[in-house]
Amino acid sequence: MPLRHTAASFNASGSPDLVLALLADARLPVGGHTQSAGVEPAMAQGLTSAEVPAFVAGRLRTVVAVEAGTAVVARHHVLAGADLRPVRLAWAARTPSGPLRTASENLGRGYLRLAGRLWPHPVWATFERTPPRPLVLGAIAAIAGLDAARLVRLCGHEDVATVSAAVLKLDPLDPLVTTGWVLAAHPLVEELVTRCASLTDPGEIPATSAPLVEQLSVQHSHAKQRLFHA
Amino acid sequence: MPETTRPHDADHHRGTRALRLGIAGPVGTGKSSVIALLCRELRDTYRLGVITNDIYTDEDARFLRSEGVLAPERIRAVETGACPHTAIRDDVTANLLAVEDLEHDFDPLDVVLVESGGDNLTATFSPALVDAQIFVLDVAGGGDVARKGGPGIGRADLLVVNKTDLAPYVGVDVERMRADALAAREGRPVIALSRTDRASVDALTAWLGGVVAAFRSGAHSPVDPGPMAPHFHADGTVHSHA
Ligand SMILES: Nc1nc2c(ncn2[C@@H]2O[C@H](COP(=O)(O)OP(=O)(O)OP(=O)(O)O)[C@@H](O)[C@H]2O)c(=O)[nH]1
Ligand SMILES: [Mg+2]
Repeated sequence: MPLRHTAASFNASGSPDLVLALLADARLPVGGHTQSAGVEPAMAQGLTSAEVPAFVAGRLRTVVAVEAGTAVVARHHVLAGADLRPVRLAWAARTPSGPLRTASENLGRGYLRLAGRLWPHPVWATFERTPPRPLVLGAIAAIAGLDAARLVRLCGHEDVATVSAAVLKLDPLDPLVTTGWVLAAHPLVEELVTRCASLTDPGEIPATSAPLVEQLSVQHSHAKQRLFHA
Repeated sequence: MPETTRPHDADHHRGTRALRLGIAGPVGTGKSSVIALLCRELRDTYRLGVITNDIYTDEDARFLRSEGVLAPERIRAVETGACPHTAIRDDVTANLLAVEDLEHDFDPLDVVLVESGGDNLTATFSPALVDAQIFVLDVAGGGDVARKGGPGIGRADLLVVNKTDLAPYVGVDVERMRADALAAREGRPVIALSRTDRASVDALTAWLGGVVAAFRSGAHSPVDPGPMAPHFHADGTVHSHA
């Protein structure tokens, strides 16, 4: 159903930096610990830990651009009281792997549970049962007062941090090394802000899927042994 | 941490949705076997569903399916990202969604059993995920484990001391272990179980029957064993960790 809200229904108060910190915290109870952001499937096919920074850079230029672009456009639509369905369709068209769509929908449900409790708002009642994560993140940003640039930073940081944390479970490594990867990715995350923060139309969402990431995700969903869902 | 009851809005489901029963305990003590036993004994009494939390494979789900105790599609595995403890306590999202899906797909269910990935003595279920929980030890882990305490041993709704048939081979006095457990639990129920001991199996199913009845009548309140049970210090004080 189309969403109609007046600007007055978004009376976010408080610090956007604190909201960003809260949402970027790996301890956020939304099921993030079940995900590896594609790195377990990739390592199962031979990716080495030395190659992970390049893997991260590749994700930030492709699938994460889809994620961040979708979130930003969803935020814009919620603020404008516009229907989110075209945004969802644009995301799905850019996410051809079934397992990756399912993973995003599982996370979306987790964020939706969290958001409904932390930021009560009529918009949540208009959501389907399994919305993809960027749709929910965009709506949280709209309601909790996170601007588009911070929202893109959240998407970028979250992806890199998820990969880095997952690698620690898969390969013996010093956690300071993987945390260094997160810091080293900051310029790429800022590039993503430049690329995505001002998008408003679903058609503008980057259409940059990564065929290898997509294919590996499908293989992973049939794997006999795995620690992470995707 | 004081005993707390379920703190949130899931309360309004009580008595209308399925009872959610967690099964926790160290690796290999018999969690899957207890679930298989309950399914075998009670599948004609209750409409059942099972969620497993395997660490690395879907071994437990496959074992339960191969036991043929329940339709295979009623048994689902959840990945925990190598964090079995987190998945039942700090962030129950993945399990909660799996339970909700099972209840949704097979509506109505009477009991959903959630098996934790085998973990250490401090792993207990959050009351946000389950209504009641069983903690499973076995005699092979040593007769003194029950005395070591911990939230699961001390305060789970039921403590099972499993594989009593093995006691003679591992030099464990089952009665002694049961008495230690009862003392550590201040009288909360303990069942010394073996799949070969009919009376103990009946005691287990009777216990679950009582919990289901209490849950349906609204008389059952979930209790959180907490991350740490209250314990004694050498100076004689008793306290709990927040
Ligand atoms: N002798 C005996 N063996 C038992 C009994 N119950 C379970 N076992 C055996 O104990 C072993 C472990 O049982 P599981 O049910 O797989 O234990 P679990 O706690 O689910 O193990 P994880 O999921 O790996 O942590 C299996 O070989 C079972 O056959 C019992 O009552 N007596
Ligand atoms: Mg098991």
